[in-house]
Amino acid sequence: MHDFLSLLPLVIITTGAILLMLLSAFESTKVEIASYISMGFYGVAFFVQLLIGCGPETTIFSETFNGMLVANNFSMAACLVILGCGFFTAISSHSYFKVNRFCTLEYYSIMMFSVCGMMLLTLTHELISAFIAIEIMSLAIYILVGYERKNVKATEAILKYLILGAFAGAFYTMGAALIYGGVGSTKFVEIAATLNIDKTISPLLLGGGFFIIVALLFKIAAFPFHSWVIDVYDGASAPITGFMATALKTAAFALFANFLALHTTMHDGWVTFLFYLAVFTMFGGNLIAIGQDNIKRMLAASGIVHSGYLLIALVAMNAEQFSGSVIAYYLAAYAIGTLGIFASLSYLGGEGEKRANFADFKGLAKVHPYSAAAITVFLLSMAGIPPTAGFMGKFYVITSAFSAGHIALAVLGIISSILSMWYYLRLIVNMYFHEATDTFEVQGRPLATAGTFVLVFFVFAIALYPVVV
Amino acid sequence: MIQDYLILSVILFCLGILGVISRRNVFTVFMSIELMLNAANLAFITFSRVHESMDGHVMAMMIMAVAAAEAALALAVVILLHKHKGKLDTNVFSLLKG
Repeated sequence: MHDFLSLLPLVIITTGAILLMLLSAFESTKVEIASYISMGFYGVAFFVQLLIGCGPETTIFSETFNGMLVANNFSMAACLVILGCGFFTAISSHSYFKVNRFCTLEYYSIMMFSVCGMMLLTLTHELISAFIAIEIMSLAIYILVGYERKNVKATEAILKYLILGAFAGAFYTMGAALIYGGVGSTKFVEIAATLNIDKTISPLLLGGGFFIIVALLFKIAAFPFHSWVIDVYDGASAPITGFMATALKTAAFALFANFLALHTTMHDGWVTFLFYLAVFTMFGGNLIAIGQDNIKRMLAASGIVHSGYLLIALVAMNAEQFSGSVIAYYLAAYAIGTLGIFASLSYLGGEGEKRANFADFKGLAKVHPYSAAAITVFLLSMAGIPPTAGFMGKFYVITSAFSAGHIALAVLGIISSILSMWYYLRLIVNMYFHEATDTFEVQGRPLATAGTFVLVFFVFAIALYPVVV
Repeated sequence: MIQDYLILSVILFCLGILGVISRRNVFTVFMSIELMLNAANLAFITFSRVHESMDGHVMAMMIMAVAAAEAALALAVVILLHKHKGKLDTNVFSLLKG
């Protein structure tokens, strides 16, 4: 029974996706109704996931699925984050599409399919089912990125993302093939069993692991595979950018952590490599972010920096007793801040996202004081100022690095965090210390505004009661 | 004998990488990616023979199904690109500069 319950949120989301796809065949269904239906499904799945909780690690239907799917506390937390991202993206899309009218019903259906792929990705402990989950997620996201078909920028973004994503997917399959060659199975349990006997990583396993890690680094936009992320985030519409930045990163990091945690030898073998990648990702991302004038591009670059912090958590994690609580908490804190900013951008951006640069938000605080205050809270959370969720997330990551003995990495993380203040504060200064030149007329805001303030509440709530850790 | 198949798979994979990096036509780039996926399939089937199990065959089938879905999306994107610019050269698309 627990097996079925662990799978229930995934079943609910898949049902919702198929239902919406069927509904979109009828002309009488309106886009707004579809957005309410999808919000309902996300909400129900979220609460089901919350109620189930998770006892000990369970292998879901080990007979039927041959031990491919494993539910534990980490997968539950990641699923909660992903479902929350889906919910708030549906809310901000609802407001966004009142002004930008290119939405059809399939939009919400495809978004639910991508959430279904992401949830599968957090559960899977096998390489080929992980590949299928990655592709379910990615194919849906490609379509969402290029959803505005008349927009040349969106088309260019989907072209770049599709070519590079498929390229990374090919690397992933080759890695899986090599690991299969070395072990004779693609299940994490079997790989761990082989490593238990050998104690060293064989050449096939090393090559396979390298290919898979390259593909995953691409998905999380870490150095040196980060350049696509800025273009793709810029080309996609604001709610989708927020969705990609949060939910996709959560799912990819869940698989990354599960893959590295499958055995201590595996984790130890890649620690040095990941150490340097974390440093380069943080500082490279900071350098790119400082140079940006467009807010979406700045947030994309800051997403690279946050990937760097999460890589610190991966370096510092304990593969023997892996709980993933630090990673899950950081992902939740980052997701809340980023979703909040993109929800605000969705209703403040205006038609065709005409307000996109730092200069366009001058004097926002004079016209919309509450919205400006909410954005300020999200930016401070991302910068890591107490008492916000972002601060607690960084605190846990840095302390985990200290206790694992990576002092240099912890110090570099703090330095990078100070550097990142520059571009977060720049937007706050623009909003508060300039006269308003724009009238900031916004339409269709109620739902996104409400979502923004709920997220502000969550920023403080999970900081003061860090339930996950 | 088994090694020859693996070497062929590696050669196909490298050809695919080369195609993605050096070619400028969108079609050729997508074809090169398919080549890389099929190189992985060949490796799977060869290793399946080495381990004398059928797992690798099943995985190759799965990868083929996913590759077909990806190709369908890629063709839709090609049509979209052609509508916008009338060309399939990747150099034409340089609005976004990261």
